[in-house]
Amino acid sequence: MSEHPDLQKWKDLAAKQLRGRPLEDLNWKTPEGILVKPLYTEEDLKGMEHVNTLPGFSPYVRGPMGTMYAGRPWTVRQYAGFATAKESNEFYRKNVAAGQTGLSVAFDLATHRGYDSDHPRVVGDIGKAGVAVDSVEDMKILFDQIPLDKITVSMTMNGAVLPIMAGYIVAAEEQGVKLEQLGGTIQNDVLKEYLTRNTYIYPPEPSMRIVSDIIGYCSKNMPRYNTVSISGYHMMEAGADSVLQTAFTLADGLEYVKAALAAGLDIDGFAPRLSFFFGVGMNFFMEIAMLRAARFLWHEIMSRFNPKNPKSLMLRTHVQTSGWSLTAQDPYNNIIRTTLEAMAAALGGTQSLHTNSFDEAVGLPTEFSARIARNTQIIIQEESQICHVVDPLGGSYYVEALTDGIIKAARKIIEEVEEIGGMAKAIETGMPKMRIEEAAARKQARIDQGKDVIVGVNKYQIEEEPLKDILEVSDAVRGEQTARLKEIKRKRSEDDVRRTLEAITHAADSGGNLLEACIPAVRARATVGEISDAMEKVFNRFVATTQCISGAYAEEYSDSEIFKSIRKRTDEFQEKNGRRPRILVTKMGQDGHDRGIKVIATAFADLGFDVDIGPMFQTPEEAAQMAVENDVHVVGVSSLAAGHKALVPQLIEFLKEKGGEEINVVVGGVIPPADYDFLYQAGAKGVFGPGTVVTDSANKVLNVLEQQK
Amino acid sequence: MISDDPQFYVQGVLKCDRRVLAKTITLIESSLRAHQDLARTIIDLLLPYTGKAIRLGITGVPGVGKSTFIESFGTMLVKKGHRVAVLAVDPSSKRSGGSVLADKTRMEKLSIEENAFIRPSPSGGTLGGVARKTRETMIVCEAAGFDVMIVETVGVGQSETTVASMVDFFLLLMISGAGDELQGIKKGVLELADAVAVNKADGDNVERAEMARKQYETSLHFLAPSSPNWTPPVLTCSAIEMTGIDKIWESVLAHHKRLTLTGELQANRKKQAVDWMWSLVKEGLKERFYQNPEVKKLLPEIIMEVESGKTASTLAAARLLFFA
Repeated sequence: MSEHPDLQKWKDLAAKQLRGRPLEDLNWKTPEGILVKPLYTEEDLKGMEHVNTLPGFSPYVRGPMGTMYAGRPWTVRQYAGFATAKESNEFYRKNVAAGQTGLSVAFDLATHRGYDSDHPRVVGDIGKAGVAVDSVEDMKILFDQIPLDKITVSMTMNGAVLPIMAGYIVAAEEQGVKLEQLGGTIQNDVLKEYLTRNTYIYPPEPSMRIVSDIIGYCSKNMPRYNTVSISGYHMMEAGADSVLQTAFTLADGLEYVKAALAAGLDIDGFAPRLSFFFGVGMNFFMEIAMLRAARFLWHEIMSRFNPKNPKSLMLRTHVQTSGWSLTAQDPYNNIIRTTLEAMAAALGGTQSLHTNSFDEAVGLPTEFSARIARNTQIIIQEESQICHVVDPLGGSYYVEALTDGIIKAARKIIEEVEEIGGMAKAIETGMPKMRIEEAAARKQARIDQGKDVIVGVNKYQIEEEPLKDILEVSDAVRGEQTARLKEIKRKRSEDDVRRTLEAITHAADSGGNLLEACIPAVRARATVGEISDAMEKVFNRFVATTQCISGAYAEEYSDSEIFKSIRKRTDEFQEKNGRRPRILVTKMGQDGHDRGIKVIATAFADLGFDVDIGPMFQTPEEAAQMAVENDVHVVGVSSLAAGHKALVPQLIEFLKEKGGEEINVVVGGVIPPADYDFLYQAGAKGVFGPGTVVTDSANKVLNVLEQQK
Repeated sequence: MISDDPQFYVQGVLKCDRRVLAKTITLIESSLRAHQDLARTIIDLLLPYTGKAIRLGITGVPGVGKSTFIESFGTMLVKKGHRVAVLAVDPSSKRSGGSVLADKTRMEKLSIEENAFIRPSPSGGTLGGVARKTRETMIVCEAAGFDVMIVETVGVGQSETTVASMVDFFLLLMISGAGDELQGIKKGVLELADAVAVNKADGDNVERAEMARKQYETSLHFLAPSSPNWTPPVLTCSAIEMTGIDKIWESVLAHHKRLTLTGELQANRKKQAVDWMWSLVKEGLKERFYQNPEVKKLLPEIIMEVESGKTASTLAAARLLFFA
């Protein structure tokens, strides 16, 4: 292919229309570092290894299936789950009636971390970010009147994956459904937990064994079930760009493949049941290209194991639109954002899709917002006529060039990970986490400066009434769950429970399939907490080390006036008070999304604060103790999982009790506007909702400290 | 500050009121003259209650696992009935002056122990620097009843020498590397060590750690020992698996016993006290020089003269010093 014969003419025309500005001015460097030009031509496709292929054939760039949506559109799979099993069940049944074709269960954080609802560490977490499940009795209620042989179920579970998987199996068994009839997906992707979400229980090594035990058991007994959903979604939400998301997700996948092979499984026995889960954000064409590039690279990676079944080489994926791109300000804009993201997911060729509700930046979805979210993708499917053609953007010079850019950049990072010795080793070095956090800090700085536009947040802001109709999970859920736990424990045979739990501990210690060992315990009504403890005896509970980058936020900001003015303020504070303003940032409760506090920690340090970071999963008492002993001026609480109404007042109480009554408390994160008053009443000195510019919150914190004098 | 009365702090510290202890350390760390004066009075009043604790310095290059080691080591000591204070210094950014203090975060279990007190401090922004701050903080913690002091150094650079000059026992943490075992650690630091421990001797790394141990042993053989009465042992340990940690504590105790018996420990401490005085004098002289109004007035002018070549540097220095 040679240059388009008239390309020079186009350049001349462009020069004229730019009135002297050089053409290079129109180039755009994406956050991934890929250079985007204003025009692509056939010439740009020269030498690209992935173009001009067919869907359903290697390298699957254009889709894993031959006919894609022309044959059957993607599965509408909305992730939901809240409060009690009974409420979630009602919600699922309504959705199934309204056209949803698959279920996706969200569990609460206590369940994720293997704690029963009556455990003292999880007071603020019960039923908040998903459904509370303590035993198979809860599972049975959850799937009541839902035919598990027909409806596929996807479960987002990684930490307490064994008791939950066993609970699903036993619930189906008691419904009269056979194992081989069960279809769906268990997330079972523990590696990314160490990277972003922190909802693990055990250290990486035994956790990897659990993953391969589940792969082993399901490959043998549940041929329709997807055994791992290798997830990049959480990386994107933590700030990863498309290249980082692709690279680290595929590297995670590779690690699972190696673990399963090491456990003696045949590549074609399990690889066809590995599925993926990508996050799609607002960078429209980039997101489309990402899904295409990921399919190409997975084919390339898997080829080295010489599978006989072509399905082992195919990347099939679920996609969720970005929760992080949603704003609390002018929230109906989120419907438009979600629509664009859903379009990108569809044009990228996803196999199933979750579309977010517009109110998720301020709270949990209501029935209304959940309906709009579901309809967003149903309208694309059934009204827009985009489903008739496979990979409609295949051959687009621009999309193919982006696909190529991501392939090359992600391949380089995957090779880097391989050099370290694979993803598990890389995670130990902290490399992937630091890369993601760096990308997150840079992104925050771009937003805070208005370089990345977010309508309603940093441009075209409006004065508005906040959303009023927000779902709130009452703290009564904990009482209900605790009562049911008591009831179960009263009725069951303690002998059976002890015996089956001991068998789990034994299997953990000396080998044997752990999922197989958990099923009898679940039948005997052992709880999620008890089963998790039975393994903890051997594996221990994992505590991640907290690392934090510095300088990334400042670098993106360069030397803006606002930045200098805050540094001046912190310098003046030092001169007046003998030390810098000192802040403890903490995330209390079981929510492990630490992107927020990491970005804040980095940015505040760059602005001249001394920043203490609280360990993961701190209780309010531990946070207060740390604040008092380190003698900070202010505690910044990050809350994303609706625990703030329980946790913040407790923190303030404990601060008083420990002699730190003069220590200020500010709260940031996903806080419904309706809660602001409650938090101020409880004694908080500042509440920063989603979309608050970091420099603004720093200024407000300094105001609070100066007023105190 | 919550009070201007030194007795408030002294009584609080002696009762080991953790809030007062924390506030006292803040006074020590403060750059305000008034805080400094108050802190000095408090230290003076607390001094009689100190001197019995074992003072430990721990260093090693970044990535060697210092925080994890202190977490395991400190937890073990607490289980043995000791009361442990950990002073960790994190570097402040030169550009913003701010810092991220994440050491304590990595000592999660130890930080919630009743009998442990961990205070992370930023390195910048104080008069007299890390050294003065850490020495005085140690005194306060000792007076509060903590009997093992652990001082963690930033990692690389000159701070090792400073820390070694204020502790009884200096532990150097290492890991087995790829060939260049001594890379990153200056010979001078190795000479200061009272013990070397090769960390991360766990999993498939046990053999490599043992090989590294032997190499360090050979290297140490060719260096002058830190004391005529003590041959620094080279050990292996795994902070994560909590193995070999107790052997290190046994070494600390043996060293303490030996040097107490020979009188070297007391001699060291006397010498350290005098050294400390001298370093304070140096700091003070420097400060007085810069605070001198005549100097402040003359300085810009003289700098300009030196820059333009009108006055020689030697002459300029002499002029400034005579005014001071």
